[in-house]
Amino acid sequence: MMKQGSSRTVAIKSLIIIISLVLIIRLFDLQILDKTYKRKASDIGRETIYPARGLIYDRNGQLLVSNEPVYDVLVTRSKVRNLDTSKLAALLKVPDSVIKKRFEVLKENKKAYFSPYKAAVLVSQISPDDITAFQEKRFLFPGFSIQSRSVRHYPFALAGHIMGDMGEVNEKELEKSGNRYVPGDYIGKSGLELKYEKLLRGKKGLEYYVRDKLGRNIGQFENGKFDTSAVEGKTLITGLDVDLQAYAEWLLQGKRASLVAIEPATGQILAMVSSPGYDPNLLIGRNRGSNYKHLLDDSINKPLINRPLTALYPPGSTFKPLMALVALQENLLNIHEGFPCHGGFYIASLHIGCHNHGPVHSLTKAIEISCNSYFCQVFARMISNQKYVDEDEALAVWDKYLKQMQMGVKTGIDLQNEYAGNIPTPEYYKKIYGNYRWRASTIISDAIGQGEILVTPLQLANVYAIIANRGTYYKPHLVVKDDNDTLGLGQYYVKHFTGIDSANFELIMNGLELAVEKGTAKLARVDSIVVCGKTGTAQNPFGEDHSIFAAFAPRIHPKIAIAVIIENAGFGGSWAAPVAGLAIEKYLKGHIPDNKKWLENYVQQKVIDYHDSK
Amino acid sequence: MLKGITSKIQGDRWIWLIVILLSLVSLLAVYSSTGTLAYRYHAGNTEYYLLKHFSLLALGLLIMYIAHLADYRIYSRVAQLLLLLSIPLLIVTLLLGSDINEAKRWITLPGINLSFQTSDLAKLALIMFTARYLTRHQDEVKNFKQGFLPIISIIALVCLLIAPADFSSAAVLFFTCLLILFIGRIRWTFLFGTVIAGAAVITLVILLAYSFPEVGRFKTWTTRIEEFSNKTDIPYQVQQSKIAIAEGGLFGKGPGNSTQRNFLPHPYSDFIFSIILEEYGLIGGILLIVLYLLFLLRCIRIVLKSPGTFGAFMAIGLSISLVIQAFINMGVAVNLLPVTGLTLPLVSMGGTSIWFTSLSIGIILSVSRKAEQEDETLPGELQHEALNTLIKPA
Repeated sequence: MMKQGSSRTVAIKSLIIIISLVLIIRLFDLQILDKTYKRKASDIGRETIYPARGLIYDRNGQLLVSNEPVYDVLVTRSKVRNLDTSKLAALLKVPDSVIKKRFEVLKENKKAYFSPYKAAVLVSQISPDDITAFQEKRFLFPGFSIQSRSVRHYPFALAGHIMGDMGEVNEKELEKSGNRYVPGDYIGKSGLELKYEKLLRGKKGLEYYVRDKLGRNIGQFENGKFDTSAVEGKTLITGLDVDLQAYAEWLLQGKRASLVAIEPATGQILAMVSSPGYDPNLLIGRNRGSNYKHLLDDSINKPLINRPLTALYPPGSTFKPLMALVALQENLLNIHEGFPCHGGFYIASLHIGCHNHGPVHSLTKAIEISCNSYFCQVFARMISNQKYVDEDEALAVWDKYLKQMQMGVKTGIDLQNEYAGNIPTPEYYKKIYGNYRWRASTIISDAIGQGEILVTPLQLANVYAIIANRGTYYKPHLVVKDDNDTLGLGQYYVKHFTGIDSANFELIMNGLELAVEKGTAKLARVDSIVVCGKTGTAQNPFGEDHSIFAAFAPRIHPKIAIAVIIENAGFGGSWAAPVAGLAIEKYLKGHIPDNKKWLENYVQQKVIDYHDSK
Repeated sequence: MLKGITSKIQGDRWIWLIVILLSLVSLLAVYSSTGTLAYRYHAGNTEYYLLKHFSLLALGLLIMYIAHLADYRIYSRVAQLLLLLSIPLLIVTLLLGSDINEAKRWITLPGINLSFQTSDLAKLALIMFTARYLTRHQDEVKNFKQGFLPIISIIALVCLLIAPADFSSAAVLFFTCLLILFIGRIRWTFLFGTVIAGAAVITLVILLAYSFPEVGRFKTWTTRIEEFSNKTDIPYQVQQSKIAIAEGGLFGKGPGNSTQRNFLPHPYSDFIFSIILEEYGLIGGILLIVLYLLFLLRCIRIVLKSPGTFGAFMAIGLSISLVIQAFINMGVAVNLLPVTGLTLPLVSMGGTSIWFTSLSIGIILSVSRKAEQEDETLPGELQHEALNTLIKPA
């Protein structure tokens, strides 16, 4: 009956036979021809060769991070016989309890890589001296072996927040990485060590050897045909100037403060200080855990906070030039126009105070003496201007320009955990006050960098780099290139534009120059170099005002843009300005002249007692 | 005594022989690969799993024996009932079934406390029903609306009900049914269109899986496909499987000498083929493939001599389903296919699925028995002799 269908059964027969043939060919390939998987089998021993981790240099070729040899003691639990724990602990100079606890951890973990037949790290990072002692007695400890590794060393003991730290891989990182890491491996946990882990780690090598049934090495497998050599990690070259970094950290001792210095022409970070800082060498080696906890528990200094990226401050008067730029770009301000100041600005029942000063008949003068009334009136003019449909639109335009100047957005620096700060939007005020329930008077303090505006020190330095560049910028970044310059840092080589005409930047520059020359920031003056800057004194709920100063220098072909914020130190011109001035002088001239040593002494010795504040 | 047994059983003796041989292979491989399990759960009592598996296989043979004694024509009626039963069962499983790895495949029979995969039942029912349908609509098979559309709708419905919990089983079942329709002389063009539509559905599911990874088993599917297409990141079990296979070489390490059984997850079910390859080498692997192939060829022989269309369709459907499942399992072990979780029929350990396989073979044998009875020209005595000479040396 199946006669008609038989051609179709033949088709099916052929299909199945072809599938069988494919299977058999595959088997032949895997079992006879392909040797790839044979070398993974258990009678082939493997030894991992660890590569040297990449080094990190500053812009002048000073070595910031190097490697030092240490040793791990590994244990293959299935081979351990008659273990004398206390003797082992004494040799390795660790407490008994540590070794016992580690054994329990290994025993309880059921994951394949903790198998008793595999060597696992028992004690890590033992110094060369201690390992020699153990090496001599090793015959007493069957099942234990030694593996050489390296740890990081920071010769300058500074910039802990930038360098970051390394720690043992945790289970989450292990699973995420595929088979790249094994338990006991070290991995970047923060800072550049984390951000550039992929480049710094290099590539592990693997050597195969044939084992006899007792596990002894009896020679290379297939003449080392499958062995791979370790590839060293990439060397990174940063834009940091370690002398400037060291000097700035020294100046800011005893204060909660941030300093960020940027090279405007490239966006490279020259120095980035978070004070109080910590010595990155504390977070390497076996004491990492206890030192870390110690730093974490210091609730007064909070040294682990990376202030330049995560502390948010009202920029105060340093914001005024930006206010002027927006108004100029929108054709709302004539630089020769004067605004009255009667010791302050009055709008409705509101009063913004101003200090006593002479008449303000130009933008230059307003910036020079930092007149509050002037900028409040400029802001009020913009927000209530007929040019825009309503206040919402006006504020949206204002907000747009500020975001184009990288305020209120993450700058995209090559470090983790950067905060965006806050530049208020119409939506933001709608949420606070309700639709059409706010007017220029409601939000007038934004004009002078108070109100709801919050920026990070990095953003402030960056925006002064933008001013220095007359409206263009490169994203701020630490790492410039690796040793072969093959780094994929494309985004940091792209020139960005703020959408504000460069001519408008020239219009505010006289004011910034005069502010340093004879205005509020005289302490930032540097002989024979034109410094353009602006002080800020930010009111805050935590006590004394924050002392703020942002600047760049020289005015023509700027080499450095800088922002300094010292918490609760008081007037911007008194503390932040001299710190910035000294840093600029140090960077541009290489030394501080004798006639300024008194100033250096004056700011360096200043210690602020933060006991009462939060 | 052998003669006594062989005279009791009926149907194709070659199929019986293949089943016995596969069971022996199964016993050896399962005994070898359950060592780890035995030490973990039964204090090193390695015989526990051997005896358990032996009794499962024995019960399977009994099921096969009983099934093959029935007149195959009653299975036409049974098919209808089973299908009517399995559709609601599939829905219940989807809604209430036990959750193993987020796959709701199992349902527990109340009273006797026996859990089984509803998809196993549905698979059997659907294949038998397709055979029944093709038999009863022989005159309309060339017609799209009256012939093709009703049956493909039923097939699609059942497969879609299985798919959320067990996508690979559903796909295999769908493909098998298409093959039966192909043999049932459904037009090429219809089948071709269906394949394209099926491919479209699968593409859509994959796209959905990528868009909503948190829904159901979507995450498992996408990672498996990614792992398979990404050659550098081979998943752990596939890597261990390849090591096992490479270690086997031409002749293998010998029975019970596998070392990879300690590293491979589920060496007794999903990856049992790898253990067989490690212990018995390329030779053993080829012999196993040949056994399945021989099984299929014997079944096609039954079909050619089958007394009725229904028996022929049913026998070919059931046997193709079995052999395709076997080849997919092997394909996974040698990394020709992504990880699916289909077992190696009759060889992998696992209770109820072995019984469903036994039932299928029993039904095939029942068709075969009828064919022998009606075909007087079949030299039955000759076959007995061939079988006896094969068995005697053992």
